[in-house]
Amino acid sequence: MSLIAEEQMARSPEVSGETRTINLITAVTEALDEELTRDERVVVFGEDVGPRGGVFMATAGLTAKHGEHRVFNTPLSEAAIVGAAVGMAVRGMRPVAEIQFADYMGPAFDQILSQAAKMRYRSGGNDTAPLVIRTPSGGGVKGGHHHSQSPESYYVHMAGVQVVMPSTPYDAKGLLKSALRGEDPVIFFEPKRLYRAAKGEVPVQDYTVPIGKAALRREGSDLTLIGYGGVMPDVLDAAQALAAEGVQAEVLDLRSLMPWDKEAVLSSVAKTGRAVLVSEAPRTANFMGEVAYSIQEALFDSLLAPVLQVAGFDMPYPYVQDKIYLPSGNRIAAACVRALNY
Amino acid sequence: MKIQPFTAEPIRWVSEQGEPLQPLPERYTPDFLRGLYRDMFRAREFDRKLITLLRQGRTSFYAQAHGMEATQVGLARACRAGHDWWWLYYRDHPIMLTLGVPMLQLISQIMGTSTDVCKGRQMPHHFSAPSHNVVSISSSIASQVPPATGTAMAQKYLGTDEITICTFGDGATSEGDWHAGINMAAVKRAPVMFVCENNQWAISTGVADQTASETIHIKARAYGMPGYYVDGNDVVAVLEVMSAVAERVRSGEGPAIVEALTYRVGSHSNADADAEKHYRTREEVEEWTSRDPLDRIEKLLAHLGSPVTAEEKEALAQEVNAEVSAAIEEAAASGTPSWDVMFHDIYAEQPPHLAEQEAYVRAEQEVGA
Repeated sequence: MSLIAEEQMARSPEVSGETRTINLITAVTEALDEELTRDERVVVFGEDVGPRGGVFMATAGLTAKHGEHRVFNTPLSEAAIVGAAVGMAVRGMRPVAEIQFADYMGPAFDQILSQAAKMRYRSGGNDTAPLVIRTPSGGGVKGGHHHSQSPESYYVHMAGVQVVMPSTPYDAKGLLKSALRGEDPVIFFEPKRLYRAAKGEVPVQDYTVPIGKAALRREGSDLTLIGYGGVMPDVLDAAQALAAEGVQAEVLDLRSLMPWDKEAVLSSVAKTGRAVLVSEAPRTANFMGEVAYSIQEALFDSLLAPVLQVAGFDMPYPYVQDKIYLPSGNRIAAACVRALNY
Repeated sequence: MKIQPFTAEPIRWVSEQGEPLQPLPERYTPDFLRGLYRDMFRAREFDRKLITLLRQGRTSFYAQAHGMEATQVGLARACRAGHDWWWLYYRDHPIMLTLGVPMLQLISQIMGTSTDVCKGRQMPHHFSAPSHNVVSISSSIASQVPPATGTAMAQKYLGTDEITICTFGDGATSEGDWHAGINMAAVKRAPVMFVCENNQWAISTGVADQTASETIHIKARAYGMPGYYVDGNDVVAVLEVMSAVAERVRSGEGPAIVEALTYRVGSHSNADADAEKHYRTREEVEEWTSRDPLDRIEKLLAHLGSPVTAEEKEALAQEVNAEVSAAIEEAAASGTPSWDVMFHDIYAEQPPHLAEQEAYVRAEQEVGA
């Protein structure tokens, strides 16, 4: 991440009062710690989350502080982890289920699809499953296809679960708290390549970030760059490179994919007339396709260029070529130039 | 000795002091035992050299099999190399080395070079050996169990005399796919040998936190198949039990589970280097290190009057080191697969949208060049 991108992501206009600077993984740990303290219905569990503190150390120290009855290891079964969280949530608890890598959510898919997502609807609104599934996702850590995928679009398509992906410590902490205090199941994707790379200020005081609201990372009038998760530093790098050429890009970080902030997207694109959508998930049936559809539907007459996407390619995530796979700042800037020259 | 299922204690042939607890079958001549020793030694040295490679930053991930060599060498020797089929888990490189998979192939995968049969597509330690019927390994725990049943169903349907061997760790037995695959194999009487390499740790989760069952192999009873329990650090016992079970499975009597009790001496992987700091005691590791499978066979050879000498060991270490170094050099010299490899093998024929995406990256690469 360039220094400029780092600075832009660290400075959130929403931050006020006394602050501290932490990284994204610490933000996750702090949110869990504070919610465990605040609400005794909260429990945290999954593979290796106990004394080991999770493979990325997101739960480091939490078992020692809150006890093994609240932060604990489970057998190695994603279906059992998510299914048990559904049952706990139905019975009035606020479970946080960790799935070690988003790539391993497969065995839990049916529990999410058939139980969590449909609980409220199928019970006539009587039973609810407000669980949170936390899982590291995305590439850039030399993990090959079983440790790098971006499966968020599957879950966006599954009506009944909220889908969130922060890119800053401020958002990670505030959104995780909102997820735990909300009434719906939330899948909370954590871009693992930003765990330690993304540093930023968080308020000392308790705060939340609402699910469903985008963040404005940079103001501009020439085009709108829209992204979320692990690509955000590259998006900001591209915006910076364009600024050096006299082009002012507005940058939106969606933060939530379901629900998503259509209003913020449309008002920005209505102003700039151009949109470039960036994500690392494979291109076909990517969530950004829905964003593009919504833009053209609402703003067809005021668009100055086709809405463009920079996305991952339609392949299992490669190992050796992961740098080519991921959208780079140059690739994003090139798409912007194409939109500007249309 | 007739190999019995569901024994209370793991079947053991050689004591920890290296003395036969019952007469050794005829084939266990000093020469034959030396062959087993060499395979185990080779696997141990392979780990040692590859960890050096990792420390040099020439690969990004490594999962050592230290301590599990008797289980894996005994198992590989009990089956028909190049004939039987294998659905392995990621910590099984000693099986592959013993089957005769060239070191170059394993090291190329670990380094992601052009000599890699998987074309640099998987993260290190996810091998594949089409030449030896070893199907490409997935990280997703227990996902290999139902397909192993399917391969065995095909072997039965096609009327072959092959069997399928499916390996997994203790952690895998908690996954739904494990139960689904094993149940189906029993119902269909598929010729598959399920082998649990119970090394007692799934990253930081000990086996007692994995299952409330006293052992893994007794789960077989409920599925309607025999379950065998063997001392996984006793290569003679492993080879005898695995051979008997493999031939039982081959003769059409249906699947079986074998649990080999062993120990993961090293950390889960380099991503988990401080196991003793976080979740297990040094005493426990030391206790199991004192039951080292290589020590046991060395003691047995000494007991039989054919000790492994220091010079012999040194020569063997040099031989393996030279073999590993040559493979590393050859792999490195082959270079990295070209970028366009990422666009191949997604389907049998490349669909138009992927051709477009490939052309897009080609244009980008040409500008870059």
